[in-house]
Amino acid sequence: MRRARAFAVMCATIVLAAAAADAVPGPAEDYLLHCSGCHQQNGAGVTDLVPPLSGLAPFLATPEGRAYLVRVPGVAQAALDDERLATLLNWVLSEMSGKTPDPAYDAREVNALRADPLRDALAARKAALAH
Amino acid sequence: MNDFDARIERAVRALARRTGRRTFLARIGTLLVGAAALPLLPVARGAAESARVPAPDENIPGAQGDPTSCEYWRHCAIDGFACACCGGSPSACPPGAEKSPVGWIGTCRNPADGKDYIISYNDCCGKNWCGRCGCNRNEGERPDYHWVRNNDINWCVSAKSLVYHCSVAILVGQATEPQPER
Repeated sequence: MRRARAFAVMCATIVLAAAAADAVPGPAEDYLLHCSGCHQQNGAGVTDLVPPLSGLAPFLATPEGRAYLVRVPGVAQAALDDERLATLLNWVLSEMSGKTPDPAYDAREVNALRADPLRDALAARKAALAH
Repeated sequence: MNDFDARIERAVRALARRTGRRTFLARIGTLLVGAAALPLLPVARGAAESARVPAPDENIPGAQGDPTSCEYWRHCAIDGFACACCGGSPSACPPGAEKSPVGWIGTCRNPADGKDYIISYNDCCGKNWCGRCGCNRNEGERPDYHWVRNNDINWCVSAKSLVYHCSVAILVGQATEPQPER
């Protein structure tokens, strides 16, 4: 009887853990909530106002560009933890710009880059693309 | 060619002998009425009902289910005139007004199912102030410096005209969790 009870408790724990794991939104949902207000649901942006996300691939060509994609205020200040932000960035790049970062962004890199905010985002953007 | 015409004529005459116009009309009529009546059968109705998922706007009594009320569930963070009172709907601008492409996005909890939904607040622009159903609810709203969650901004800055008319609260989809600021 005791064994059966322990087994039941174990099963319940597994089910609850699985339910908790399911409760974390994926990057597509995080994109809708944190990015699509400006960049639009399809990433197309708004002419002369919000850049399209299809054009991000050139940023990955240099370390400065790669860092810029995390340090730009809209990304760095998003209300997401480092892990989810890294996942979201990797997703946006592969889904919308057709370029999967190599290596992929991870929580550690995102954490370090967020701690170093951009003073002049436009100048940093220009410099990142000039190389 | 004459041979071809003759064969076709024979075939058509034979068909005409076998089927009268009235018979043809009667059969077509039976088919049409039968097709229309098929969904009325209990089996067909049952299948349609089991496949249908209630829309999140349904089954909400009172003001929380009324798009012309500030208490409407999707209006949980609206600051402006509700477009449903201005000739539009919670999802569409009134005729003659242009939806701002940029807006802000948050979540509202649906009282009917207790789930959170992603809502996009956009302004409708290019017509004078609507002036009806002025609402100011701020659940999950943040100050100007946190502008991606701010409802004081005139989002018509992203439209062709800066003139504000009213605001829509578009249902984007279901959320796994409420927005982090709530």
